Amino acid sequence: MGFYSSIEVSASGLSAERLRMDVIANNIANVNTTRTPEGGVFKRQLTIMAQKLDESRSDSLDMNDSSKRLAGVQAVGIINDSGPDRLVYDPMHPDADAQGYVHMPNVEVVKEMVDMMSASRAYEANVTAIQEARAMGTATLGLLKA
Amino acid sequence: MNGISFGTTVGLLKNAVDGAGTSHSVIANNIANVNTPLYHRTDVSFKDSLAATLGTDADPNQLEMAATSEKHFAIGGAEPPADYVVTSQKDDLTQQRLDGNNVDVDAEMAKLSINSGYAQTMNQLLSVQYGRMRQAITERL
Repeated sequence: MGFYSSIEVSASGLSAERLRMDVIANNIANVNTTRTPEGGVFKRQLTIMAQKLDESRSDSLDMNDSSKRLAGVQAVGIINDSGPDRLVYDPMHPDADAQGYVHMPNVEVVKEMVDMMSASRAYEANVTAIQEARAMGTATLGLLKA
Repeated sequence: MNGISFGTTVGLLKNAVDGAGTSHSVIANNIANVNTPLYHRTDVSFKDSLAATLGTDADPNQLEMAATSEKHFAIGGAEPPADYVVTSQKDDLTQQRLDGNNVDVDAEMAKLSINSGYAQTMNQLLSVQYGRMRQAITERL
C-alpha cells in the first residue's frame, strides 16, 4: 500500500478514458462512411467500461487491504451500436438502394461531442487525482529533509 | 514496535497519514470508475477507528521516559496500536444515474481535496514533532 498504488488506479482511468476518446474520434471521422472492410455502412462504436478488481481477492470484502482490491477501471470491449441507420434520399449516390435511399452511419455528431466532453472531463479528474497523490507523497518525503 | 517511546503522537500521525493514503486510493478508484455502468461508489472511514486507538495502555515492552520529579508531566501511553481498522462500504443510497452509476465527480474531487489537505496537515504536524525531537537531541534551537 502506498501512494503509488493510487496513482496506478488513476492511470487505469486515464488509459480507459483515452481509449473512449479514440473510439469517439473514430465515430466522428466516419460520420459519412458508407463502405467498410466488413461490407456495408459504418456502425457507431461504443466502449464498454468495467470495474477492475484484483482477481486473487475478488471474493474478499476485506477492505483493510484495499491496495490489492481496488485496481481502477478497464475498457473490456468495443461494440457496435445496433441503432437504425440514417436514411438519406440521394438517388445519384453509388451506394443508394433501389428506392434511391443511402444508408448513412448511425452516428450523431452532437451526441459524440457530448460523450467527448464527458471523456475529457473524466480524464482531467484522473489527472488531478494523480497530482494530489504526488503532492501527498512529496509532503511525506519532505519529512526526511533536515 | 519495540524501543523507546516518544509518546503517542508520532505513531498516531503515522497512522493518520497511512489512512489518508488508503482513503486517497478509494477516492481515486471512484473517479476512475466515473463512466463505468452499474458501479456504485465506495466510502471509506478510518478517523473514528483512529480516534479509538487514543488513550490505550502503554506497551509494557517499551521504555517509558523517566521522571525525576513528581511535578514532571507524565509522558503517557506508547505507540498507539498499528492495527487501526479502515472500514469501507458501498454507497447504495446516493441517487444513481441512468446507467446505474452513482459517482458524482464534483463530490469526489471535493473529497480528494479535503483528504489531501488532511494528509498535508498531518505531515506538517509530523514534521514539527520531528523538529522538536531534533531540538531536544541537539539542544539547539
